Amino acid sequence: MLRSIRERFARERPFDGLRVGVCLHVTTETASLVRTLIAGGAQVALCAANPLDTQDDVAAALVERDSAAVHAIHGEDMATYYRHIEAVLDTRPQLTMDDGADLVSTLHASRPQALGDILGGTEETTSGVVRLRALEAAGQLGFPVVAVNDARTKRLFDNRYGTGQSALDGILRATNMLLAGRVVVVFGYGWCGQGIALRAKGAGAHVVVCEVDPVRALEAKLEGYEVLPGVAAAAKGDIFITATGNRDVVRREHFEAMRDGAVLCNAGHFDVECDLAALRELAVERQQVRPHVEQHVLADGRRINLLAEGRVVNLAAAEGNPAAVMDMSFANQALAAEHLVKTAGTLDARVHGVPPEIDDEVARLTLAALDVEIDALTEKQREYLTAWEQGT
Amino acid sequence: MTALSSTTDFKVADLSLADFGRKEIRLAEHEMPGLMSIREEFAARQPLKGARIMGSLHMTIQTAVLIETLVALGAEVRWVSCNIFSTQDHAAAAVAVGPDGTPEDPRGVPVFAWKGETLEEYWWCTEQALTWPGEDGPNMILDDGGDATLLVHKGTEFEAAGAVPDDAPGDSEEYGVILALLRKTLAEDPQKWTKVGQGIKGVTEETTTGVHRLYEMMDAGTLLFPAINVNDSVTKSKFDNLYGCRHSLVDGINRATDVMIGGKVAVICGFGDVGKGCAESLRGQGARVIVTEIDPICALQAAMQGYEVKTLEDVIDEGDIFVTTTGNKDIITADHMARMKHQAIVGNIGHFDNEIDIAGLAKVPGIERINIKPQVDEWKFADGHTIIMLSEGRLLNLGNATGHPSFVMSNSFSNQTIAQIELFTKNDEYERKVYVLPKHLDEKVARLHLDALGVRLTKLTPEQAAYIGVPVEGPYKPDHYRY
Repeated sequence: MLRSIRERFARERPFDGLRVGVCLHVTTETASLVRTLIAGGAQVALCAANPLDTQDDVAAALVERDSAAVHAIHGEDMATYYRHIEAVLDTRPQLTMDDGADLVSTLHASRPQALGDILGGTEETTSGVVRLRALEAAGQLGFPVVAVNDARTKRLFDNRYGTGQSALDGILRATNMLLAGRVVVVFGYGWCGQGIALRAKGAGAHVVVCEVDPVRALEAKLEGYEVLPGVAAAAKGDIFITATGNRDVVRREHFEAMRDGAVLCNAGHFDVECDLAALRELAVERQQVRPHVEQHVLADGRRINLLAEGRVVNLAAAEGNPAAVMDMSFANQALAAEHLVKTAGTLDARVHGVPPEIDDEVARLTLAALDVEIDALTEKQREYLTAWEQGT
Repeated sequence: MTALSSTTDFKVADLSLADFGRKEIRLAEHEMPGLMSIREEFAARQPLKGARIMGSLHMTIQTAVLIETLVALGAEVRWVSCNIFSTQDHAAAAVAVGPDGTPEDPRGVPVFAWKGETLEEYWWCTEQALTWPGEDGPNMILDDGGDATLLVHKGTEFEAAGAVPDDAPGDSEEYGVILALLRKTLAEDPQKWTKVGQGIKGVTEETTTGVHRLYEMMDAGTLLFPAINVNDSVTKSKFDNLYGCRHSLVDGINRATDVMIGGKVAVICGFGDVGKGCAESLRGQGARVIVTEIDPICALQAAMQGYEVKTLEDVIDEGDIFVTTTGNKDIITADHMARMKHQAIVGNIGHFDNEIDIAGLAKVPGIERINIKPQVDEWKFADGHTIIMLSEGRLLNLGNATGHPSFVMSNSFSNQTIAQIELFTKNDEYERKVYVLPKHLDEKVARLHLDALGVRLTKLTPEQAAYIGVPVEGPYKPDHYRY
């Protein structure tokens, strides 16, 4: 799908000469998106959205073949990570593309004078949208942002089916555990949590869901999952996965209840979902037992295995979401960026949804790629749906 | 049961239901491609000509198609249901009237069955079906659960002893009824069952429970005639028990209670073929399923499929729905039920009603039984909490719904028909033992059902067949293969 958009962009050049600052996980799928923007005439500077997510070969290829300015190294420290963000901002982008809103928040914090140059931005993920809405609520958001995450063709697919599959992939690659017969505890039953629970159940695990939202909790319950408070689940689980977008979801009281050999990981965007400081405090010994598996030995001998330092496990320990769903997400990114350019100057400095036409277009293109045909409403049906006079 | 027609040699609830029954039989025939193609294949040869088959098997629409298949192959047939609640009265009426008769002029098969028999009526029916008019008795039994076989064996045993034993304190109510019946027949004809037993060439047995009885008799040396264990045909137990229950368990629970299954905690006792189907059935509706098992292999299977495996004691106050599938007795006791949640649903899908202790329940001090509708009772304990009992602990898929669907029963009954032909036509090849059908017949039954589902089978090349050492046309698996 991105390829077909790229071909159109190459003809229409919607970004001709435009400077675009991109802060996304540096993976092959992101490379496709960057090449699509370049095909549309953009000058792209790219940095990573997470210190552990960069695929170095992809970064190199983007520099060599596509003349993108890339600032990203797998395993970079936090200082380097932020230096790379600053390097992208140094190019004075006119359009931003974010995953987690680090680029936009750094911009607002350190270069308020540059806000006026910016046409708009796009945001990829739930956690970033939450930050941007907070910025908007504080009256400080300096330009319009399109929340790509909120497109139906993004979160229903990328978050649910993409993260559902890839988070388990990360756990399997890191631990080589058998899921069948295990108790998998999923914290958060949003789109990501639903996907993880679904795939874990499919692999034969007994799934327990922990929630704070009563509607989500009820959904999980009627789907047939066991719903428990976190501490009760902690005593029961073999594998714990956080997918909440919130902080300190798994903390001291949970670690204290966990069984020997528990595996702990995070599928949410930031590494704040597990209280790692508390875990380190409880541990009398820590050792790296496999790549991406750090074992914490507690005073009574129980071992808790933390995966990927509590960072997003699908990207850190596996390859992130599969290309097929990222294609949908990034098609939204590309089309949302085009939308921002076309509507330049007319949108308020707020967080906007993806226009429904773009959402529908992405779904239509994906269906075509999958060789799926669907029906269309008849004229009479269309009329019926819009007429208030017609009832039974 | 005042409306019973009993003027001629049959007894059903209401002959006027025959027309409805005939319509449903016609629909079922389309869904039973195995039985119908067997009819076609053997109609000209009449392999069951001379066979006098007494059948004791749930008198449902599907069974009607089986009965008429046996008749089409030349057999004379008399029939009873093998459970007091499992008869579909329109099916019984249609069979009694027959395809060519009318309610005023019934010309079908003598059938003695109605929904809601008493235990006395049930065993009276079994006796009637085993009692052929004229000199000859039945020469074949088609059994489900082994009740007909049991009556012949017990009758023969007591006639040899010259007396029927007195009721013993530990006996079930039902055994008391059997003993009373045998006392009566011993007085009327001291050789009745001995003669019946001598006339019988063999029995084909439908279900796990009946098969278990047969192997016990074989081991004890008391088996009077050869038996074919139809239950352990792959196309029976791996289909009927599994996919049949997967379909009919939730059907029974829904029709009985209309309770929302999603979100409930369901406890399945036993994870054999039936338990596996039941667990999948409830999980598919969104229930969280917990399994209880005594067999470590089945318990591990359940765990690997993501079910929790607990003891019943662990979860007795947690379950919303309890289903027994074990083929064993005393699984859910009155004490268990006293500790269940308010309005917990309790039911059994195993063959006999001894998995749940109904007699014990009735004896709990202060208990009250509130009938909600046929086959659904609320039992109220002295503390005010209640449980909902389905079909009085008898198999709820037949008691509360219509049992297994036609398609799956076509597999089971194709095996039955083939087994009847086999035992009747090659009787001298069989000793007084229990046999299973050879694998090529099992594969044939499966083959007969593929077209109806649009299944396209891949064919082995001769080179491939040689490579794995099987004939191109099968059988494809060794006898010990578990599927």
